[in-house]
Formats: sequence, structure tokens, C-alpha cells
Amino acid sequence: MDTTPHILIVDDDREIRELLSKFLERQGFRIAAARDAREARRLWPLGRYHLVVLDLMLPGESGLDLARWLRSQSDVPIVMLTAMGEETDRIVGLELGADDYVAKPFNPRELLARIRAVLRRASGEAASAKEPPAKAIHFAGWTLEPGRRRLLNPDDVEVPLTGGEYELLTVLVERPNRVLTRDMLMDLLRGRQAGPFDRAIDVAVSRLRRKLEDDGRNPTLIKTVRGGGYVLAATVDRAA
Amino acid sequence: MSWQQLWIGRHEPGLVSWLSRRLVPASLAGRTALVLVLGLMVVQAAGLTIHALDRVDLQRLGQAREVSSRIFGLWRSVVLAAPDRREAVLADIELPLGLVAALDARPIVRPGMPAPPLPAVRMFRLEVMLAAPPRFRPREVLLAATPQVDGMLIAFRLPEGEWLNMIVHLPPPRPWHSETFLSAFAVMTIAAVLMALWATRRLTRPVVDLARAAERLGRDVNAPPLPEDGPREVGMAARAFNTMASRIRRFVGDRTQLLAAIGHDLRTPITRLRLRAEFMEDDEQRRKMLSDLDEMEAMITATLAFARDDAATEPSVALDLAALARTVLDEAADARPELADSLDYQGPERLTVRVRPVALKRALANLVGNAMAYGGAARIRLSLPSKGLVRLAVEDDGPGIPEDQMEAMFQPFRRMESSRNRETGGVGLGLPIARNIFRAHGGDITLANRPEGGLVAMGSLPA
Repeated sequence: MDTTPHILIVDDDREIRELLSKFLERQGFRIAAARDAREARRLWPLGRYHLVVLDLMLPGESGLDLARWLRSQSDVPIVMLTAMGEETDRIVGLELGADDYVAKPFNPRELLARIRAVLRRASGEAASAKEPPAKAIHFAGWTLEPGRRRLLNPDDVEVPLTGGEYELLTVLVERPNRVLTRDMLMDLLRGRQAGPFDRAIDVAVSRLRRKLEDDGRNPTLIKTVRGGGYVLAATVDRAA
Repeated sequence: MSWQQLWIGRHEPGLVSWLSRRLVPASLAGRTALVLVLGLMVVQAAGLTIHALDRVDLQRLGQAREVSSRIFGLWRSVVLAAPDRREAVLADIELPLGLVAALDARPIVRPGMPAPPLPAVRMFRLEVMLAAPPRFRPREVLLAATPQVDGMLIAFRLPEGEWLNMIVHLPPPRPWHSETFLSAFAVMTIAAVLMALWATRRLTRPVVDLARAAERLGRDVNAPPLPEDGPREVGMAARAFNTMASRIRRFVGDRTQLLAAIGHDLRTPITRLRLRAEFMEDDEQRRKMLSDLDEMEAMITATLAFARDDAATEPSVALDLAALARTVLDEAADARPELADSLDYQGPERLTVRVRPVALKRALANLVGNAMAYGGAARIRLSLPSKGLVRLAVEDDGPGIPEDQMEAMFQPFRRMESSRNRETGGVGLGLPIARNIFRAHGGDITLANRPEGGLVAMGSLPA
């Protein structure tokens, strides 16, 4: 059986479909492309897709409806293409169970990185039953809302995070009480974070500690493990 | 010109304007009420005067009738009495106030005294005496005026040749002797003043409503329309205002849709170009093309943000402003690591405000981005709330801006002439967007040159 990842692209612009197919094929993916939701439904049973790249702005049936339908069919990872600033679509999409999103006009390399990260996560989690998307993740009095990409402190006051801090915190709360070495963190984060993140892990951890009111010299929430790693020491409670 | 004229000329305008400032109310309702109350006072004063004059007339007439009837009675008693009994009769008769009588051999009216005015004679109906039956008729009647207005000297000659002398002096009229009348009058006046105040306030309220609506429209184009009821003129004004508001709304809507459509439609070609660039063989050209595309995207993002005015639709939440400031600086440092050492935050560790997080982050990022692009540094100073405002300053180390160009920097697509090049880039929307966002929060942004050099953008937000 072919192990090359098979990707279904759904976008209404013919040129983007073709260029993206060509671009991803060059990166070693097998590609099928659909122009709208109807064609996507027709193509769906014809192949075993590992991932769907879905434009939310489709003529006719909307991308959100198609995402909902895909979710009812399988756990296939979905990467959404959203319009800039269409916050509500993005939030609904992520709450529907899309795995990630890229705003249009997207950078092809960033899309590629996201696709790889989502595929890596999907294969890693394939063995265990995939958890439904959480609306809110509670830990040590704090709340992380993945759909809105925001962190609330124990008084329900939003504490803004940089992209890097948010990704790092997400990785940590998804793996509470597990020691994550710098290499593991970099591996888990590289797909998500565009740009260099190597040196930034320690910086991001110290910034995150400051925002979480965790004393940097004697941290109790994000603890430093000797030998170069971090662990989130907290009970994590996921609310669907 | 005399010194008095000089004095008046020099001081009067100031004095008059000071007086008018102090005495003339500022509001339309106040002025209308003042005019109404002044008019009412004049009318009431005139009414009181008429009433008083009328009352004085009536009182005098009544008193005169009383006195004249007493004069007849007195004369009758004296004439009918025996001549030797007359003194005693006169002494027994009780005379009313203002009438003195005595018997004498000579008349009290001397030759050469001024004659009394005819109205007075009529008032005392003395002509009746002359029409009396012959045995009651005085043999002679002499009249003279007294220095007092309502006084008269009267002398009747008795048949025996003696004179009955009388001094008539009516007591001064008392037009205000009725206390109930005065209190009723006062109550009526106060009631009328209160009615005038209430009515003017009520009648001028639509003007206040109109002003408020115009002010609301300035901040929010989608503010609810004015009610078009009330008096005809008010209804007309409200209708005209609502029509104007809907035209502005349509105009703004058209403009927004136009910009949004352009921005939206440009996304697809930019995405295509980005994909095409990936197939270019020349690495250098590809890098340049991608950076051009990044720049285009930044312009579209800024234009869309300005056109859509997202701040108006995003809900407000409680947010840690200190963490937001640090986040914006951290992201700026991540994007331009070479400037990381020139970025600094000073302020409280936490500061909770109710704001629209995405919009405010964009505003702060714009200020920090400008400071870095034009001033080579960005330092955020956040101060604890005072007088209901949280103040936030973004400082840089650049050349600053001439004072006379500062306000112009807030106009869309306006940039310093010196910065109109590719190195610093920008569309000229960063400051206008930031100010729109701060104003939508009920705050504002102003610019100032720092005494130490460099520019500072000072933002305020309601605490």
C-alpha cells in the first residue's frame, strides 16, 4: 500500500488548485483537487485521504458545511484556508474540529509546514482515540480556549500571548505532567511556528512563566527538568 | 473725548460681556425661560398696578360716600337742634375718621383760598345739599382745597348766621390691605414661572436630542435613528437628520464595500503569485518577489482594517493591558531581533481594562511598528489609572515630527515626506487606524516630541 500522504484540496480558484497541487506534489504528496463541495463529496469515497486542505469561501455549499460533513464521515485532519479577518469563520471552523488554519493570501511554505505538523500529530495520535476538540482547557485555575486562541486568568481576564507562547502552552497543556525535552518541543512546535524557534524556546518559556505569574527562579507551574526539558505540573481538565 | 467716555469705552465691553456671561443662561431653555419670566414679571407688574389704581379709586369713592352721608347727617342734626343745644349735639355725634367739625362765627374758608377741584366736589356729592328742601338748605356753602389731595374745607352757614365748619381729610388709600390677595398673587406668579421653566425645558429637549444624535452619529454611523414625532418643526428636523444619517451610512457602506471588495479580490492573485514564485529557479528573484508580495499583503491588510473599522464590531472583554503591551513588544522583537535591545516595557505587572483585544492589539502593534520603523526603538510606558483614564505612551529615539505636521499624521495615507520610500515602507494607515481604535474605546492618541529627543505617541483609554 502506498504510504505517500494523500491530500484533497478544495478551492474554487482553478489556478490556485493547480499551482498548489503542483507545489505539494513536488514536496512528495499525492494530490486530488475539487472545485466545490459537490465535487469534494464525489471525490471523497474514491481515495483514502490523509488530510484535506479546505477553502472556507466556496461557491454554493460553504466550506464550513463541508467540514461538518467531513467530520461526520471520518477523523481526517482538516487545514482551513480562511479569509483575513474573518474571525468568526475561523473560530467556528476550529470548534467544528478543523486541525489548523492558514489565512489567505497564504505563504505556501507556511501551509506546507502546517500540513506536515498536522500529519505528524495525526499519525502520532492515530493509535489512541482522537480526542474531540476542546472548547476550553482548564489548568491550575487558568483557561485556554483553542478556538479563540486565548488565555484567561483565574479572574477571567484575558492575558494576551504571542503566537510562540500560545503554541508552546498548547503543546504543554496537551501533555501535562510529561517531561518534554527541548528537542521534543522543537519538533512539536516547528510545524506550527513559522520562523526560527530554536533559541526561542527558553525565551518563550520564561515569557510564558511571567504571564502565568509563575516565579521564574522557583517555578511551580512550568518546571525546568535537569538535562534540558520542561514539564507542566498541573491537572488539566478539558471541557468539550 | 472726556475721561468718562474713555473710561466707559475702555471698560464697558468687558463689563457687558462679563455681565451677559454671568446673567444670561447658556442654554436655549434657560434663555427662553428667562425671556418668558421677564415678560411675565412685566405683565404681572402692570396687572398689579392696574389693580391697585382701581382699588384706590374704589376705596376713595367708598370713603367719600361715607363722609358725604355723614356730612348730611351732621348738618341735619345741627340744623334741627335748637341754636343753644347745637354745641352739645355736635359734641355727641361720633364722626368718622377724616372728618372734623366745629361751630364758629366765621367760616373756615377764607377769601382767596383755592377752590377745590371739581371731581372732588362731585365725589362728595355736595351738589345734593343745594338741591335739598329749603329748610335744610344751607344759607351759604363755601368750599376750599386743602394742601392734601383728598382733603377739603367745607363751611355751611346755618340759618342763624353761624357757620358749621368741617375739615374733610380722607385717610390715605391702602390698596394692599388684602393679605389673601397678595399671597394668591404670589402663588400664581410662582406657578406661572415653574410652568414656563418646565415648558421651555420640554420644548427645547428635541434640540438637545438632535445634538446628542449628531454626536452619536460621529462615533457610530449605525446609531439608531431619531424618533420623528413631536412638534412639526422638530419632526422635520429629525426627519432631515435621519435622511442625512442614512445617506452617510450608505456612503460609508459603499466605500467600505469597495475597499473590502478590492482587498478581497486581491487575495487570490497574491496567493497565485506566491505559489508561482515557488517555481522560480532564480533564488534571489524569488526572495525579492516574495518580499514584494508580503508588502502588498501588508498594505491590503492595513487598508481592509481601516475600511472595515473592526473595532466597532468586536465585543469588549476584560484584558490584561500590561501583558498585551509586553506581547506586542515580544512579537516585535521576534520579527526584528536586531532591535530587540531597543524595546522596553515600563509599568505595572498587571492592569485589567475592558477593551476589544484584537483591535487594541492592532493599535498597539501599529504604534510600536511606527516607533521601530521611524525611531529605531520602542518603549512602552504604562501608568496606573488616574482620573478614570489609563495612559500609555510609546516612545522612540527618532528625529520626531515638526509640531505643525503632527495632526496631519493622523490623516489616512499621509506620511512624512522623508519616509515615503521603500526602506521604511508603510501605507500611512498605522496611526489613523490606531487612533480610530483608541477613539472607538472612548480614548484618544496624540503625538508629542520628547524634550530628550524622539517622538512619543500618547494613548489614553477609559480605566
